[in-house]
Amino acid sequence: MPWIPPLLTGLGVYLAVGLVIAIPFVARGVNCVDPAAAHAPARFRLLILPGCAALWPLMLVKWLRARARRGA
Amino acid sequence: MTNAYAAVQWNRHKKVYDLLIAVGVFGYLALFFLGGRLLFPPPDDFSDEILLIRAFGTCAILLLHLILAIGPLARLDARFAPLLYNRRHLGVSFFLVALVHALLVTGYYGAFGVQPAPEAVLAGYVAAARPGAFPFEVLGFFALCIFFLMAATSHDFWLANLGAGVWKALHMLVYLAYALVIAHVAFGALQDQVSGFFAGALGLAAVGLIGLHLFAGLRENSRAAAPPAAEEWVDAGPAAGLRDGCARVVVLRDAERIAVFRHGDDLHAVSNVCAHQAGPLGEGRILDGCITCPWHGYQYLPHNGQSPPPFTEKIPTFRLKVAGGRILLDPRPLPPGTPVAPAPLSQEAV
Repeated sequence: MPWIPPLLTGLGVYLAVGLVIAIPFVARGVNCVDPAAAHAPARFRLLILPGCAALWPLMLVKWLRARARRGA
Repeated sequence: MTNAYAAVQWNRHKKVYDLLIAVGVFGYLALFFLGGRLLFPPPDDFSDEILLIRAFGTCAILLLHLILAIGPLARLDARFAPLLYNRRHLGVSFFLVALVHALLVTGYYGAFGVQPAPEAVLAGYVAAARPGAFPFEVLGFFALCIFFLMAATSHDFWLANLGAGVWKALHMLVYLAYALVIAHVAFGALQDQVSGFFAGALGLAAVGLIGLHLFAGLRENSRAAAPPAAEEWVDAGPAAGLRDGCARVVVLRDAERIAVFRHGDDLHAVSNVCAHQAGPLGEGRILDGCITCPWHGYQYLPHNGQSPPPFTEKIPTFRLKVAGGRILLDPRPLPPGTPVAPAPLSQEAV
């Protein structure tokens, strides 16, 4: 199956980008997106990190929208 | 509840539940490994890696069936309801077991670093070992991706931020993943079996699970309440026989479920759907004066469907009355959090 190596490479790149975005997101961005996370402990942030890395486009859009709302 | 997020909102029940999961999983793995050593002595023995791969793989299959059976079992018999509570920890445990299985396979068949492991497993192993065989590893890989997404989004944060519809749709993918797992095992491990015992057991488990879901669904439909009689009231069954602190779930013709709770000598009706993760409130109990969801312990006051302060969840309430020993229900939902006067049980019904 020749499509396997490019699929795995693509998945790896997607998750690597996701991790780069997810780390600052769980540290700061999540506080803007969901006020209930503002005072959440580090363990909570660690727990949502894999999901943020996997769904990073969605989380990035939410983060940017939340920032825009705050700036408005 | 939605006051502030915590990593895990621990309570005694969750700790006991998790302890039982850990004992069950590690006990099974140890039994499988030691049993494999005893049953297959040299020279017919398996390597430690193969035994571990099979131990984690079969453990994952068993856990998956247990997880998928808990829902319909709890709907058929309230005694299974405690298993529903904290089911997501069981789900995350299952994912970790399946992940270890995948990592062991990847490491073992990728020669632990001699070859690029994921590609060796997904692209090269089948072709090299059994020309023409179905690439069953790919099926397991896609199933694992779905299980990862489910485990990674199991925290309340995701329900709140993805929205109930998207979150539910994402988690309904478990049925697709289950089909992938069955195909993964059927085209993979079962191809090497000569006795047919494991194939029979897996087939029986799959048919049993599907049958259980169908039976629970059909029984629920057959119990759907009669259409509205005079005015808008629906017969919700006899007033007698409802245990204090427990509920009767009434299924309307449009499949909406309403939980009728008895609290002391009063009756209250609320939506059966928890505002948290759509858990079945009617399978829970009234604890400390609050209707308590059996899944994650979210609580609501029976008379108004509101979570006690400082929490803010609300569910729809319904009007009730008792006449001629029957509970009558107005099927029109009131806005979430609307206070409703309780319907007093008559003395003869108590």
